[in-house]
Amino acid sequence: MMIALVIAMLTGITIWWLLVQRLKTKPWTEQGVIPGSQDTMTAPRTGLFVFLAMVSSLFLVFVGAYIMRKDHGHGGGMHEWVPVDDPSVLWLNTAVLVLASVAMQYARGRMAHDRVAPARIAFAIAGVLSILFLVGQVSAWVSLSATGLYTVATPAYSFFILLPAVHGLHLVGGLVVLARATTRLWRVDTANVVALERLRMSVSLCTTYWHFLLLVWIGLFWLLLST
Amino acid sequence: MAYVAIADRDHHLHDPDTFVTKYIWSQDHKVIAIQYGSVAIFVGLIALGLSLLMRLQIGFPDTFSFITPYNYYQFVTMHGMIMVIYLLTALFLGGFGNYLIPLMCGARDMVFPYMNMLSFWVYLLSVIVLIASFFAPGGPTGAGWTLYPPQAIAEGTPGVDWGIVLMLVSLAIFIVAFTMGGLNYVTTVLQARCRGMTLMRMPLSVWGIFVATILGLFAFPALLVAAIMLLLDRLIGTSFFMPAVLSMGSEAGTDGGSPILFQHLFWFFGHPEVYIVALPAFGIVSDLLSTHARKNIFGYRMMVWAIVAIGALSFVVWAHHMYVSGMNPYFGFFFATTTLIIAVPTAIKVYNWILTLWRGNIHFTLPMMWATGFIFTFVHGGLTGLFLGNVTVDLPLSDTYFVIGHFHMVMGVSPVMVLFGAIYHWFPKMTGKMPNEVLGRIHFWMTFLGTYAIYLPMHYLGILGMPRRYYAYGDTEILPESGVLANQSITIAAIIVALAQVIFLINVFYSLRNGKTADPNPWRATTLEWQTPETPPKHGNWGPKLPVVYRWAYDYSVPGASRDFIPQNEPPRDGAGAA
Repeated sequence: MMIALVIAMLTGITIWWLLVQRLKTKPWTEQGVIPGSQDTMTAPRTGLFVFLAMVSSLFLVFVGAYIMRKDHGHGGGMHEWVPVDDPSVLWLNTAVLVLASVAMQYARGRMAHDRVAPARIAFAIAGVLSILFLVGQVSAWVSLSATGLYTVATPAYSFFILLPAVHGLHLVGGLVVLARATTRLWRVDTANVVALERLRMSVSLCTTYWHFLLLVWIGLFWLLLST
Repeated sequence: MAYVAIADRDHHLHDPDTFVTKYIWSQDHKVIAIQYGSVAIFVGLIALGLSLLMRLQIGFPDTFSFITPYNYYQFVTMHGMIMVIYLLTALFLGGFGNYLIPLMCGARDMVFPYMNMLSFWVYLLSVIVLIASFFAPGGPTGAGWTLYPPQAIAEGTPGVDWGIVLMLVSLAIFIVAFTMGGLNYVTTVLQARCRGMTLMRMPLSVWGIFVATILGLFAFPALLVAAIMLLLDRLIGTSFFMPAVLSMGSEAGTDGGSPILFQHLFWFFGHPEVYIVALPAFGIVSDLLSTHARKNIFGYRMMVWAIVAIGALSFVVWAHHMYVSGMNPYFGFFFATTTLIIAVPTAIKVYNWILTLWRGNIHFTLPMMWATGFIFTFVHGGLTGLFLGNVTVDLPLSDTYFVIGHFHMVMGVSPVMVLFGAIYHWFPKMTGKMPNEVLGRIHFWMTFLGTYAIYLPMHYLGILGMPRRYYAYGDTEILPESGVLANQSITIAAIIVALAQVIFLINVFYSLRNGKTADPNPWRATTLEWQTPETPPKHGNWGPKLPVVYRWAYDYSVPGASRDFIPQNEPPRDGAGAA
């Protein structure tokens, strides 16, 4: 599955490229300034999408490793795959992260109409909700380890810690950027068009990142639940 | 256009005004490139030294008492890892990627210069962590460069206490550095090209570096995942990779893990890694051949397609490194097929290089000698790859010196030939001085002939059945007298090739001090980096005005033209489309 997804992703990107950039052109016959690639996305947005592609690859590989360890462990014994009972707090955590994403989306919408005041409140709420999500994740680990049923050598349990931890680290990285953007939202001079434009970009990129991490979490949650 | 605005904006963002910001904490892509290159060559020299120690042991066993089996495996491991990751990847992408992308695309700098600077410093940190393992208790890891569990973290393997931990941490840090650099390379190519520079007008060097970076961004996560999980197995006793192990008659306390899983993860990174190194070499050598043969590259479009195709295919061939690990026969068939398919675009590239030379006005300059040398070594390395790509042929040859000969020719010597060609080619632009011709020629011939003296006999030894990774062979039937002699001659050749690299270093320092002042465009090349107002280019590259591109990168020997090259930024004669 992992391979299929990665290949599909790569193929998709390649085909998109070939179509957009018209590899059929004959550059040796053409002279003069060709309008060429009309790059509509700005550099930060492109950079973010390239980064998200890489992070997708990271999580796909993790998922592949999870499935393979589950199905093809060697030597059975005490470290055989035994599913863990997913703590119910994960449902609550998921809902909190969805709300954070909704708040971000709301902020993006407000910024599009230069409504900075509601945007910054929504942004701050999204930050608080994201921190709540992280606290919830930690509480899930604590409750699981408190049962005393699992050790780190229990494979399903160690994946249960590892996958959300990697996801959480990405969220923490996002929170640093979000904190900076929120501070700027609070200080921005609304008459300064350039500063406003930059902030609009920051808010938009943060929102994209949050939606992406929400999707990743939903994928991981589904994986943990279904196995 | 948006990208022009970005390229111009950088100029105002990070003008260096002190020695520190200009040469140490520099955000200038050219300085970062040289920083990357210098560190990479430095660690490469360490790895070269390690290979000599290995060869001394193989060629003259029982002679050097300071080379113990314990050390020997450490040398093997560190040599491999340093050469593949910390030298080749860093030099091609961090070094040449940094130097060439903005200059060849007509940008003032990378789009995220601060992150670019961080990329170098984080890379340096990864190197320091790696080198620190030499001084850690127990020394560096001796697990082999593939770091296969269980033995990588099992008692008895050299460096199991500290070495393996530092290696895995260093790899993780390197991947962070690569990500920061890689985001810059891809985004700069996509967003910061000057007016008129369409993707299909980009020189093949940029195409190679661009696609290789995309491969890296997709492939390195697999290594990161493998490193994190192995580290957890080693440090806190998780059971991702460790199966039940009997050690010295007693149970090691591990079970359930899948060592094969590690191999899949490692090679899902490891095979694209071959092309992360090869694709920039393919691109750069295309530009060298075209420029020094004074002829447009043959089949430019096909060359671009081939780079993209090789990049995509490189993700579906990884298990050909695992034929002897045990797998479903149909998998073997699948991976053998994809491996042989990848030979098609690769062969297209080789034919196109040869056809570029065909009836060209070949100038055997220093860069050209290395470029033509590359065609030889690459064809030889590639052909033995066809042997090993087939399951039935691979099984008896697996883990023999045939494999060592093959991969050193194809991804050791060949990329290094291009690296030297590239260094000699762009040295005048980077330093403003010409490299010394005589020293360069001695360097070339010693290296080119020397590497053949090293690696050709290895194929013979491999067919005899001489296994790799052995500290000593003793008296065995598989190694006749001629084999012992071959091993000795290989060692002597290796020492000669290593000495040739000293000549290279002398050339670099001598030419920096006493070299002839370089013409801004000494090779009469068409690409943008040779059209900068100053040599070496100053910060911002282009003076007050960004260049405008009117043509592709290979207008050499155009019929009717007054010179045998037309720079990319030269407007058409009739003025059509001129800005």
